[in-house]
Amino acid sequence: MIPGRTNPPDLVVRHAHVLDPGSGLDGVMDVRLSGGRIAEVGDNLRGTRELDADGLHLFPGFVDVHAHWRTPGREDEETIESGSASAAAGGFTGVVMMPNTDPIVDSPVVVSGLVRRIERESRVRARISAALHVGLEGKRLTEMRLLKEAGAFCVSDDGLGTASAGVLRNGMMYACSAGLPLILHCEDHTLATGVVHDGVAASLAGIPGSPASAEDVATATALILAAETGAKTHITHVSTALSAALVAFFKGRADITADTTPHHLTLTDDLISTLEGLYRVNPPLRPDADRDGVGEALRTGVVDFVATDHAPHASEEKELPLEEAAPGFLGHETAFSALHTEIVLTGKLTLSRLVEAMGCAPGRWVGEGGRLTVGEPADLALLDLSERWTVDSGTMISRSSNSPYFGKTLTGRVVGTIVGGELVHDRTGAQLGTRG
Amino acid sequence: MGIKSFLSLEHTDRDELREILDLARAHEEGSVSQTLAGKTVCLAFFEASTRTAVSFELAARRCGADVISLSEQASAISKGESLVDTVVTLDRLGADAIVLRHPAAGAASLASRHTAAPVVNAGDGCGQHPTQALLDLYALSKALGGFDDLLGRRVAIIGDVLHSRVARSVIPAFTKAGMEVALVAPGTLLPRDAGAWGLPVLSSVDEALDWEADVLYALRLQRERMTGARIPSVGEYARFFGVARRHLRGGTLVMHPGPVNRGIEISGDVVLGDSSLVPNQVAAGVPVRSAVLTVATGAAQRVAA
Repeated sequence: MIPGRTNPPDLVVRHAHVLDPGSGLDGVMDVRLSGGRIAEVGDNLRGTRELDADGLHLFPGFVDVHAHWRTPGREDEETIESGSASAAAGGFTGVVMMPNTDPIVDSPVVVSGLVRRIERESRVRARISAALHVGLEGKRLTEMRLLKEAGAFCVSDDGLGTASAGVLRNGMMYACSAGLPLILHCEDHTLATGVVHDGVAASLAGIPGSPASAEDVATATALILAAETGAKTHITHVSTALSAALVAFFKGRADITADTTPHHLTLTDDLISTLEGLYRVNPPLRPDADRDGVGEALRTGVVDFVATDHAPHASEEKELPLEEAAPGFLGHETAFSALHTEIVLTGKLTLSRLVEAMGCAPGRWVGEGGRLTVGEPADLALLDLSERWTVDSGTMISRSSNSPYFGKTLTGRVVGTIVGGELVHDRTGAQLGTRG
Repeated sequence: MGIKSFLSLEHTDRDELREILDLARAHEEGSVSQTLAGKTVCLAFFEASTRTAVSFELAARRCGADVISLSEQASAISKGESLVDTVVTLDRLGADAIVLRHPAAGAASLASRHTAAPVVNAGDGCGQHPTQALLDLYALSKALGGFDDLLGRRVAIIGDVLHSRVARSVIPAFTKAGMEVALVAPGTLLPRDAGAWGLPVLSSVDEALDWEADVLYALRLQRERMTGARIPSVGEYARFFGVARRHLRGGTLVMHPGPVNRGIEISGDVVLGDSSLVPNQVAAGVPVRSAVLTVATGAAQRVAA
């Protein structure tokens, strides 16, 4: 159902402030979209359909390489339809779906089933991450080449990590020769025995903690093996300052990239004191020093981009004591707004770097989108950077409502999302019309 | 005088390869015989083997040698005797040649330093298997017309290169015979930095055909590596690295050192089909090993004279 195949009539977005750090565009101009691609960037462009974007910003569409759309198996929490609508509401035009579903995405038949459902249901360009090992059990490698033939884009150990360095190394070598990048969730389960970050807040609250080393040790292992095997490896949801420093060390020594999440950039473990299940997430929220270290790594480009780890959960899995709640937050719909409010408007990060980290860089990683250049796919996000809105469960498009930002007033909001030249999320109201 | 161990083919040049193959043909045609009359050949096999052990024994007997067979179970090895002590014992008992199969790479080389008798490496761990490479050259050159017809031909070595002593011997053998060699394997079954060997590394039999391979040389996939650790499944392996009928174009030849896992390395209808040299490779075992034993014991000079 991805638009662009239907060949919509030309759309001109007029008078938007176009910002694309990738191509160096930064100013008010018009963009004409035709045949699903960016046809023209300039002044006084006309088209069959015109969208007056005066006062709005136009960015390359965001790409989220880490989303749990719970399909197959937990369609009560999210479907491809609702997940992609939620992504579109956050300005995302591309998404990578994680494999820890039920059944796990470890066989070609599950992949081909997802491919068909994506074609029917997805509003955005959804890619499939298959499992690195069968059942995500960390023992036997999956039939990666058959998974790739069925439509998998990459492989991942997400949700669990890979306990055995030997299995991970073989998996990297095999994925490398199969031409598949890896997304790795770095967590050592012999260390990660708690449910929150093992720090002062956990001690005060009496909640069992997992030390930061649970992430750092596994990150070091993954990076060392990536350097040795040459596998294209992406370290997802980096949440500690040390892991970010390890990534920095291995830049240029291995084919690696890394992301961090909006929540690790904006929230800290002081939320543990609420004792609310809502705030359980993996990797856990960290202290200020880690949040700031990861934020600095994002600023300098050591951490290449942002991914949300969009993780919908039914209310019965979150309205529980912290220790019993399922880990994970909704991510798509609040990602830009939270980061804009918390780190751009506070001067910690430039708007340009945020756009790069949400659009250009992950777009480069998936090999499509993230560039507002003539000939590229017409995947764009239109935002009102001055709109203030309060996050509440009633406004969520996701089927679930486990956002850590409930009740917060954020500044900046997605007004429209365009995939393949068509508006797949539209809050522009009467601004869109047909003109002679 | 003139004895020569066969530990690897590292120091064997193209002319020597040709001489051994010529001598093998002479053995096959019956124009030489009894080259080992009065000699004692000791077969020391410390690892299971069918075709290698049998063909060495037949070769030695047909050349007129006395043959002593030693297996791990039926020898003092099972009592904990070291390889070196066993070799010294065989040496003092008067062996004129020791044929050694051992599970550890370098065993033949170690043995050769402790005996005056020539040592013929019949396979050492993941190290070398030089007589296999020689019989492969023999079978292939015979199928193509002659030794010089190997020049410029392309052979794709497919499968578990990492653990294969056959690969470590056939790659230099084919190269010295003037052939071009490519490796076809998943990354998990390739030696580290295989690209540094200067050979193309391909990732499926189809890619080998795109590379215009004349010969598809499939290696045995060892059972303990079949699932999980280094490859996901036999099915996926067979899909990308198994030689099937659809891969056979005019003149494409298929080889395998045996024993074949049918339907995995080579499909059942190809193993003994028209394109297959697998039976020819087995048949080459006796004449080639006769030639090797003849050269090793220094008897070749007498043949030449």
